[in-house]
Amino acid sequence: MSKIYDLSQLEELAGGSMDFVMSMVDTFLEHTPQQIQELQDQYNDGNLVQVGAIAHKIKPNIDLFGITPITTTVRSIENKGKAEQDDAELKEEIEKLRETLEVVFDQLRELRA
Amino acid sequence: MEILKIFVVEDNELYAKMMHHHLSLNPDNEVKVFHDGKQCLDNLHLKPGVIFLDYSLPNFTGIDVLRRIKQSHPDLPVVIVSGQEDVSTAVELLREGAYDYIVKDENAKDRMWKATNNIRENTELRQELDRLREEVTSKYDFSNIKGNSPAIKRVFKLIEKAARTNITVSITGETGTGKELVAKAIHYNSINNNKPLIAVNIAAIPKDLLESELFGHEKGAFTGALNKRVGKFEEASGGTIFLDEIGEMDTQLQAKLLRVLQEKEVTRIGSNQVIKINARILVATHRNLAEEVKKGNFREDLYYRLLGLPIELPPLRDRGNDIILLAKHFVDAFAKENRMGKVGLSSDAQKKLQSYHWPGNVRELKAVVELAAVLADEGQIEGEDISFNSTSSVNEMLLEETTLKEYNRKIIQHFLDRYDKNVVQVAKKLEIGKSTIYRMVQNNELDI
Repeated sequence: MSKIYDLSQLEELAGGSMDFVMSMVDTFLEHTPQQIQELQDQYNDGNLVQVGAIAHKIKPNIDLFGITPITTTVRSIENKGKAEQDDAELKEEIEKLRETLEVVFDQLRELRA
Repeated sequence: MEILKIFVVEDNELYAKMMHHHLSLNPDNEVKVFHDGKQCLDNLHLKPGVIFLDYSLPNFTGIDVLRRIKQSHPDLPVVIVSGQEDVSTAVELLREGAYDYIVKDENAKDRMWKATNNIRENTELRQELDRLREEVTSKYDFSNIKGNSPAIKRVFKLIEKAARTNITVSITGETGTGKELVAKAIHYNSINNNKPLIAVNIAAIPKDLLESELFGHEKGAFTGALNKRVGKFEEASGGTIFLDEIGEMDTQLQAKLLRVLQEKEVTRIGSNQVIKINARILVATHRNLAEEVKKGNFREDLYYRLLGLPIELPPLRDRGNDIILLAKHFVDAFAKENRMGKVGLSSDAQKKLQSYHWPGNVRELKAVVELAAVLADEGQIEGEDISFNSTSSVNEMLLEETTLKEYNRKIIQHFLDRYDKNVVQVAKKLEIGKSTIYRMVQNNELDI
């Protein structure tokens, strides 16, 4: 499967320091799975405002890692969460976010290996 | 370049790390990351130069933290970094005193970099301004006005009293006695010393331009008024306006000035809008204004309005030993400025300085001793190094206390030099016989 992330923004920021890029990857892998789990839990508990707040926090990380298939999705989850708008699509969007990120986690772990 | 301490307050580990890395690319930045608002507030004693504050924080919101920072550190720039582009929130935060509002998008890092550079420049400019302000204040500190004579000590007391209030002060004295220096000392030792001191030399501005210079004008108010111009009274708002050589103002403008002082408001030429003014007034003149009132050259009502606290500066010739004290002070300062090493003043030179009548007062003394310091050999100013420019050589000659015969010789020589050694012309001018001159030439008393 082709890469669904793009580290070019991070690489530009790093100014040639691959150590920095790798340490950012490590931080991403360390924190984001927990955040996704928390987002899922809050959704299951019906705390939509919290869902929006967590999506808000994850959003810049997704942009930074160039995970383009879900940049719109995370914004939609954020907006619906803030507006406490639990429509039929929200569940699917959260699912899409989780699944996509799991693939990204695997690909990044491979990169680190 | 000084180290700029940057606080990054961001609970998103990844974004905080990115900001830390990016802002640390400048080795003159020292970046500290905090993950919540409380940590940031608890560390303000570390004196950050700028804070990048995430809008959505766990314990306090960004706006709460901003308000608390502004309460205790109103001048500290706080840049809000937000995941959301929300104009109304941005406006509210800017109103609360935020320096800037940056959205976490692809331009965020560049905007952070620019904001940091701007803040660094502003901080450096502010520090420079503070330093210059301190320097100016210390330059015009009372202790820097030199003198021990009773005449100048009386002036010091009046300056101190003038600085304590915002009373109008009228400074009089001969040219070169230091009227402007006194005006500056009053301003820079007053409570408004961080506000502007605007000096206007009435004598130096053409009569037709003076009104616009003082009160300002609107664009197109008269031929040549291409742009709007703020007047000196407005410029001096909250501070001091110093009207030097007030005695030179024509009577028509005196009437307008009187009205401005009475109403405490100005109207720019070509405008109907009245502008309140609150500048303290200092005036100076070398003329005797009371005499000018008697002669009808100065309005009596304006004279009384401007008189306020009168400070009359004594001429240098009435200041006794201050002449030597000031001479040494000027020589030391000049030598230091020109890296000349210590330059002394011989007793002969001191005697010469004290016997002179100083028509140009302190200004002349300064010029004379600085020139003498240049001419002096081996770090010592001798009598011969001192020459007085403002008066004729006859006056200078009288200081030498010699015999009548020698005075005669010097006078004839002076005229011979002036009239190109024309004996006939000199004899006619001095009403002496040509033979007297020829005899003195023969005796080698004159150089021809």
